[in-house]
Amino acid sequence: MKNMDLCRHTDTVNELLARYGVKFGIYKNNEFHEQLFPFDAVPRVIDKEEFAYLEKGLKQRVMALNCFIRDIYGEKQIVRDHVVPEEFIFASSGYLAQCEGVLPPKGIYAHIAGIDLVQGKNDEWYILEDNLRVPSGASYPMIARDLCRKSSPSTFKEYHIEDNRNYAQLLRNTMDYVNTGGHTVILTPGRYNAAYFEHSYLAEKTGAHLVTGNQLIVENDYLYFIDYSGKKERVGAVYRRISDEYLDPMNFKEESLIGIPHIYDIFRKGNVALLNAPGNGVADDKGIYYFVPKMIRYYLDEEPILQNAPTYLPFYEQDMAYVLEHFDHLVLKDVAEAGGYGVVFGDKMTKEEKENFIGLLKKEPRRFIAQEIIDFKDIDILDQGQWVPRKADLRAFVLMGEEPVVWKSGLTRFSRNPDSFIVNSSQGGGFKDTWVLSQ
Amino acid sequence: MGIISVENTDRLYWLGRYSERVYTTIRLFSDSFDEMIDSYLDSYEVFCKRLDIPNIYTSSANFIERYCFDSEDPNSIYSNLTRAYDNCITLREEIGSECVSYIQLAMYDMNRARVSEAPLIELQKVVDNILAFWGIVDDSIDSENVRNIIKVGKRIERLDLYARLHLDAEKMEREVDRLVGRIPRTCLKYRKEALSRLKELVEASEIDYYSIVKEVESILEE
Repeated sequence: MKNMDLCRHTDTVNELLARYGVKFGIYKNNEFHEQLFPFDAVPRVIDKEEFAYLEKGLKQRVMALNCFIRDIYGEKQIVRDHVVPEEFIFASSGYLAQCEGVLPPKGIYAHIAGIDLVQGKNDEWYILEDNLRVPSGASYPMIARDLCRKSSPSTFKEYHIEDNRNYAQLLRNTMDYVNTGGHTVILTPGRYNAAYFEHSYLAEKTGAHLVTGNQLIVENDYLYFIDYSGKKERVGAVYRRISDEYLDPMNFKEESLIGIPHIYDIFRKGNVALLNAPGNGVADDKGIYYFVPKMIRYYLDEEPILQNAPTYLPFYEQDMAYVLEHFDHLVLKDVAEAGGYGVVFGDKMTKEEKENFIGLLKKEPRRFIAQEIIDFKDIDILDQGQWVPRKADLRAFVLMGEEPVVWKSGLTRFSRNPDSFIVNSSQGGGFKDTWVLSQ
Repeated sequence: MGIISVENTDRLYWLGRYSERVYTTIRLFSDSFDEMIDSYLDSYEVFCKRLDIPNIYTSSANFIERYCFDSEDPNSIYSNLTRAYDNCITLREEIGSECVSYIQLAMYDMNRARVSEAPLIELQKVVDNILAFWGIVDDSIDSENVRNIIKVGKRIERLDLYARLHLDAEKMEREVDRLVGRIPRTCLKYRKEALSRLKELVEASEIDYYSIVKEVESILEE
């Protein structure tokens, strides 16, 4: 989709994104820096039928993942039935024993899921990763769309494109659905968090209050926001953008200064909704990813609509043998890492690096997964006036309220480096809008 | 009045103060700079003394460069704009992205001015953005409380600077009148007697600048 009118305005749109402070934070040598997120005006376009297929598959996947989390912190039937080995549950850094037996309001764990997909050259979509903790990225295509519509109204008149600026309303609906009574807040670790722009932008657009931990207090089993006059206002839903371990120093990391003491106690009692629920990390661990198709069959009695990238678990002897034999053709991922870190390509290692890595792999097989390198479909970007192909992924957002809803857009991230598959913004990637056609 | 935290009240107030400090000091600095062109005297020394900032500068040229653009100098215009920006960026949900964007633009223009061949003329763009910021505050912030807290910060800062720089009484009188009308329309806790005293001080036949600064700094309750 090389709409020339839209492309002519790429620089202007980027200038406007800078004007509105569309940035992400990054720490380099222990110093905080704000960086712009380069935008490419050529959108990823998904037609109506194709999106309907993705939508179905994404809903199915997120429903199964919700069932899995509920089961793991409840009956653990999937472990008893030997579908998922217990080693992959209790050894996962995302598993939190404190969440055992806790049922969140309305039984929803993953309210906002960011599912990363890639499209292969065979046009097949593959799921790369599930993000069920604090997935970020929706704000970027939202604001970019707003600016693109201003820069090239004729383009948006000509094509029938689903309006993605409804994300704030979808998010608000999700927050309201689980709200236990009172205000809705977005809890941020603060100004120096990498995704602070998104926190503040979503607060502005949803009408929620943006708060830090020291503005909230638990008293008599309820959560309150303390206003200027000292008056306490009840809070019923917290869209928290801080990780589980820092959420409540009384229940998780005691050294946390950004959390709210006892918030997890009142969550346990059903007196406040936390979006997403703590403990979700057990389901988006890269090791657990391997089992998601099995979960879909197990909980929903359906065949998975969307496929995983072919994945091997060196934990299994047979898979380890395969990984060692095909090492140069695989990408290896450390399950504890995120943001494009801990990802190595077998064919890019020196002999010595390879030997060291294999030693580590044999010593800690549970720590890694191996995947076939998917030859992603390239997407064109405009680079200094030239069209050049680059690797790109798609982060789709699924919001779980009364029913799961898939946002009719998504964050398309691309690598600016022609030789790289890594698309993460923290590693220099850029982004595109994702158009879903309505006709 | 919608709910607002102590932190955000404080940030709104300081956003008002710092943005005003940048605006007024650029304007006053420009006047002072103009004098320095013709004068052999180091008039920046008087400027520093009146603003109660340490004279760490070695010459007029050093003052011009560092007072405007030195990020390490806590009294520089650059540092004050950075503080306005730091407050502003955390207030997006209170004041809206449009308001935030003008302080962001001022920051970009300040950085451009810093490396420009004619930095002082480039500072005009920073002034323009701050004026636009005041305009959008009036135009787009629905909450009277939020709007007025920023403006109280602006008025207090202006009075403080005017008094320190011994500007004429008429200007200060106007600012006191504006402050008296504005401050009750906020959730800020303030000392009514300080306002009455200020009024007396700016209307006096002989202006006691020192007492004005003292009263201005004690208007808001801790």
